[in-house]
Amino acid sequence: MVALARKTLIYEWRRFLPAILAVGFASLLQLLQAALVLGIFGSASVYITGSSADLWAGYPGTQSVNLGRPINEDVAMRLRMDPDVVKVEPFRWVDADWRGPRDTGGVSVFVSGIDPRADGMMFSRALPLALRARLNEPGAVIVDKADLDSLGVSIGDTAAINGQRVRVVGVSSGLRALGGVNIVASLETARVLDIAPEDAGMMTYFVAKLRPGVRPKAAARRLNGSNAFGPYTVWTAKDFARESQLYWMFDTGAGAGVLFLAGIVFLVGAVITSQTLIAAVIGSIREYATLNALGVGRGSLRKVVMEQAFWVGALGLLCSVVIGAILLVIARNRSVPMEMRPLTALACLTVSMALAIVSGLASVRSLRRADPASLLR
Amino acid sequence: MSMSAIASNPSANTPTLQARSVRKSFVSGRVESTVLHDLTLDVRAGELTLISGPSGCGKSTLLAILSGLQPADTGEVRALGHDLHGLSMRALEAFRLQHTGFVFQGFNLFPALTALEQVELPLSYMGLAKDVVRKRAVESLEEVGLGPRMSMLPIELSGGEKQRVAIARALAKQPELLFADEPTSALDAANGQIVIDILHRIARTHGTTVLCVSHDPRLVHHADRVLAMEDGRILSDHVPPAASAAITEHS
Repeated sequence: MVALARKTLIYEWRRFLPAILAVGFASLLQLLQAALVLGIFGSASVYITGSSADLWAGYPGTQSVNLGRPINEDVAMRLRMDPDVVKVEPFRWVDADWRGPRDTGGVSVFVSGIDPRADGMMFSRALPLALRARLNEPGAVIVDKADLDSLGVSIGDTAAINGQRVRVVGVSSGLRALGGVNIVASLETARVLDIAPEDAGMMTYFVAKLRPGVRPKAAARRLNGSNAFGPYTVWTAKDFARESQLYWMFDTGAGAGVLFLAGIVFLVGAVITSQTLIAAVIGSIREYATLNALGVGRGSLRKVVMEQAFWVGALGLLCSVVIGAILLVIARNRSVPMEMRPLTALACLTVSMALAIVSGLASVRSLRRADPASLLR
Repeated sequence: MSMSAIASNPSANTPTLQARSVRKSFVSGRVESTVLHDLTLDVRAGELTLISGPSGCGKSTLLAILSGLQPADTGEVRALGHDLHGLSMRALEAFRLQHTGFVFQGFNLFPALTALEQVELPLSYMGLAKDVVRKRAVESLEEVGLGPRMSMLPIELSGGEKQRVAIARALAKQPELLFADEPTSALDAANGQIVIDILHRIARTHGTTVLCVSHDPRLVHHADRVLAMEDGRILSDHVPPAASAAITEHS
């Protein structure tokens, strides 16, 4: 079979270039947008992704990790009773008000009270061991180094949280929060800072580690079976992280914005691509009509046009993947919050290929003008 | 080839193309103009039949109807014994794929393909084996004298060479019916001469029914039979002097 579609694409590349670029740009925009959204909203679940726990137990129906309510200590017992659970650790969340030494006004902060022991699960990925040990000092807190300015402090400074004195003993990275500032403290410090009387002595979450090889999903399902130890829900870390991200994405309206923008990008890309492909079909319409006169069926001609659309899509995707990868590396090096996962990338690329295919289908219609009788003049 | 050889070919005498009382009208706005008036015609194999006449006389419409590219309003059209009127679009495409070749005034070659690929392209849709496709394409290009220029793109070929590629493209299908619409109009005298000679030779050596439509008076002497058309009717049906001289010479 003569590779008419590919040969024409190569020979008349100038004609197809706008379509390739349109698919490429559309694809690149979708990829970058997805990477930014994942990067920014990923910080909504930094408590989960920065920790090594497999399971999270919290107040029933909690939609996002920052919305936790105090739960009964008995839940920890329930977790420990499970044969697959090897370790349980409390996590205390305190919404608080920060007053820095400099004139920053009130800053709304989220205090994470964690077990500062070296083998603690909470923030095990975000805190170096030496830094973690410093939390044992009463009133010691750690913040993200990018938040120092908004908190109006430097390392070693003292400030007040909910009217209690705290001291910044160190900074880390990867602790940035959405909608506020994260403060990491020991469970003991967090208890002191929590001034709400109804929370007295209550933890917000219990996180658990499973025996190696145990599937977290199955364990979570089993643990959700009974309410004998008071109301609670158990999530796998992965599920809870995703739930928190999705909550923020849609609570802020960013999710709708992203989908809207994706729709616009798709539409504009499809218009340019289909117009270019239509122009290419019309440009060869007499040749197609001649083939039809010689008996090559309309279906076969459609296939040629669709194959062209496919190659335009494939080349566009290739461009976007190469440029996207380069931009992602640059963004990482400049601590722009960007993140890409294989499944998300695949979804973006699928949407862009769909764009090319839809444009191809639109341009196939112009093959109707390939009427061999019109060649007889 | 002598007259006796043609006569011994049974298809030479039975018409391969038959039109009976064919009528075709076009409506533009409120005006209906009849292009073909109850036209009846037989075309035989092994001959180059030329339909000549001024532009607008309906000769291209007649070609379109005889080749199955357009349906007639009334009347009967039979090609190789098939009634074209009753065939669906797909069936007509299949019929054209198996039995017909076309040469148009414009060469209509794909700019991206070499001469060899242009010829192979329609063949590849006929369900032929790859080596058969290649062999037929090469033979056809050699037959039209383009053997050495097979790997050239249309941009590297002259007008006459392009038209010869178009002829090879039609010829390689080994069609029983070969239709040519103004094949020499875009060419200079010398190249027009070459093209009409090739078409004539195809009719004689392959026993193909070659139906050529042209207003080019230079072609009249190269045809086996000339039908003069005007206003949708056939005015005369004669054997041109050169051809009759050749026939007398042969017999």
